[in-house]
Amino acid sequence: MAGRTLLLCLLGLASLSAIHASAADKPHQVLDLDYGEVLFHFYQEDYFTAITHLMAASERERLPHHRQEAEMLLGGLQLSYGMLDQAQTRFERLLDTDSDPALRDRVWYYLAKVNYQRGHYRKAQRALEQIGDHGAPALGAERALLAANISMALGENAHAAQSLRGVRAPAGWKEYLEINRGIALLRAGNVAAGRAVLDDLGKQPAAGEELRALRDRANLGLGYQLLRHGDPQGARTYLNRVRMQGPFVQAALLGAGWADAEQGDFQAALTPWMALSKIGGHQPAAQEARLAVPYALAKLGDGEQAAAYYELALDYYEREQKNIDLAIENARSGTLIARLAQADTGTSGGWLHDNPTLRDVPSGRYLVEVLSGNGFQESLKDYRDLGYLAGALNRWLDKIAIYHDMVDMRRLAYERRAPKVRQRLARQEVTELKRRWLQFNTHIDAAREENDPLQLATTQENQHWARLADIQTRLDALPQTSAYAQMREKAAWLKGVLYWQIQADYPIRRWENHKQVRAIEPLLDEASAKQTAITRALAQARAGFSGYDERIRTLHARILALLPRIEAARHASGQHLQRLALEELETRKQRLVSYRSQARYALARSYDQLASTPGEHP
Amino acid sequence: MHRLYRGLLAALVLWPWLPAAAETPPQAHQGVQDAVQSLKQQVLELNRDLFLLEEELLFPTNTQVSVFVSMDVGEFFQLDSVQLKIDGKEVADYLYTPRELDALARGGVQRLHIGNLRNGEHELVAFFTGKGPKGRDYRRGATTTITKGLGPKYVELRIVDQTRNYQPEFAVKEW
Repeated sequence: MAGRTLLLCLLGLASLSAIHASAADKPHQVLDLDYGEVLFHFYQEDYFTAITHLMAASERERLPHHRQEAEMLLGGLQLSYGMLDQAQTRFERLLDTDSDPALRDRVWYYLAKVNYQRGHYRKAQRALEQIGDHGAPALGAERALLAANISMALGENAHAAQSLRGVRAPAGWKEYLEINRGIALLRAGNVAAGRAVLDDLGKQPAAGEELRALRDRANLGLGYQLLRHGDPQGARTYLNRVRMQGPFVQAALLGAGWADAEQGDFQAALTPWMALSKIGGHQPAAQEARLAVPYALAKLGDGEQAAAYYELALDYYEREQKNIDLAIENARSGTLIARLAQADTGTSGGWLHDNPTLRDVPSGRYLVEVLSGNGFQESLKDYRDLGYLAGALNRWLDKIAIYHDMVDMRRLAYERRAPKVRQRLARQEVTELKRRWLQFNTHIDAAREENDPLQLATTQENQHWARLADIQTRLDALPQTSAYAQMREKAAWLKGVLYWQIQADYPIRRWENHKQVRAIEPLLDEASAKQTAITRALAQARAGFSGYDERIRTLHARILALLPRIEAARHASGQHLQRLALEELETRKQRLVSYRSQARYALARSYDQLASTPGEHP
Repeated sequence: MHRLYRGLLAALVLWPWLPAAAETPPQAHQGVQDAVQSLKQQVLELNRDLFLLEEELLFPTNTQVSVFVSMDVGEFFQLDSVQLKIDGKEVADYLYTPRELDALARGGVQRLHIGNLRNGEHELVAFFTGKGPKGRDYRRGATTTITKGLGPKYVELRIVDQTRNYQPEFAVKEW
């Protein structure tokens, strides 16, 4: 985490580092799934989706346990997504309503960040002063860094150095705080203290490329500072520490040559300058080395070699100038913008980590270098964000047509089915079932009260009972003979047996009946609820369809209204990028023109000197 | 001559300080930036409304079922993919990117699936594939029966480290 934030800081991405600080004190436990889902997108720097889902979850009131954090997170997301106005308003509102000290500290920190990003340094400073001691350690380090940046922006370098002194910082942060402290001290004119800080940092072992690059930067900066203050020997010590494989090698080689030259050792100066010439990059250091080499040769008295290298430098500058002219032409003709359009990666937020491929563009390498600049990246982010917004709306435009058809299909299906459903509802089937159930229930209750087992006799038993009763009636009508008397006895005995059987089963039957009747009750309730729901749905369906129609129509209109505005803003943003690119390319061109004229002048002087040396030339 | 080159050098001397010293706030181009901010706000609000409409239309609350994946620590299990079946039918087979895994490890919760189910009981089976303890290939399943009633149903598939036996545990939680 710290390493990641450090990288972001190194890139100068204030907003991202700010919100990542909030990630350091992320909730330990997600209590609302929707909040967890927002975090899932946020941690991937997909701010657009994260903000959308957060707003949707708030709308549906699905964040009961994270209401305050959600507000804070939304402000942070808006800050990261470049919505400074909205972020500021939200944070200020949180200050109005919330009294939790830790949260207030975080809000003040973000307000300071917003104001700093907007260039309102005094306001940013005042916001920082409001912060108490309730924040997490990571916030403490970020806060110190922000305070230092604000002070430096206000020219208060000594104050900046002071604010970075002795800050408790999590792992990975210390080095970054120290390099800034060293710089602030140097800027404040306290060269000895600044040198001590940077010297210490430059000697430390560094794990990971980020920290190694930071160490290189400390050594390079210190080397140049000493060179400027007339200590070439000291400068050489620090410049030697810069890695050959690092991103600062070219500037270090150039400086090392100058350190040697300052000490009058032009032979030694040739080694780094020649190495730099061979690297063949397009950085100003490599271009300057083309002049430095013949300059050193001339100083060593080798006029012929110096003239030859000046010739080579002239060729090189002419070639480069042609390339840069081509790059300018490409920028003017819109090729640059066309290439940038291809840089849309389909994700919202984040930064353009890889520059678009410009391999096919003549002199594209100059454009790549221009694109790497921080100011350009800031504007490029706007350009890409607008592209993303347009893409998102265009995708909705396709989908919303389908949703319109879907609602139509549902309406048709409704029109087809509704009459049949209404017919069934009109039959009141559930009411009839309920009536029958109640009737049966009454019957059971009556049987229980009467305690008459025959009430619960089975159909067969009832048949047998009725038959025996019929037999008895018929036997009663016959003469009173002994044969009939026997039959009467047998009938009475059979009736008794039957009654005894019915009576024996009676308690079980009574319980079973009771159980079954009770079991039916919830089913009837459910059927009743469904009938009510269907009745309500039928009544609301028409209004629902027309409601969807209206919503779809409104949303469609909103999409269509926004798309041309996005396109116009993107065009303006593209034009701005083009201007920035052209300005930068023009600066580079002017530098080349200057190098070229100096090379010409030096070459002419070399020839003059050679010509004035008798006997050496024909 | 020497002075000439020192003039050239001056610009280079300054540059190492510039990027580290302070993040220079962009001042220029304010008009476009204001427009971009305003457009972002409007598009986000529109996107939210469209998102809500889409969910209402495609996944009405009475039939809506959402399945989420979350991870607690994740030291004993390095997740590669999750396969989800509901009532025997595969509804999701998701392969994770390192970025997504990082987001899960930091407390993010992924919505793996959103769909529709009738009221009643349904069998949900999830298979987690990845690297288990000691880097061995690992595939484990978790089965549960969920009851869909009125209103949306949320199910969370949780990968939890069990320090008791140094094994991952796969739990299903209904919300």
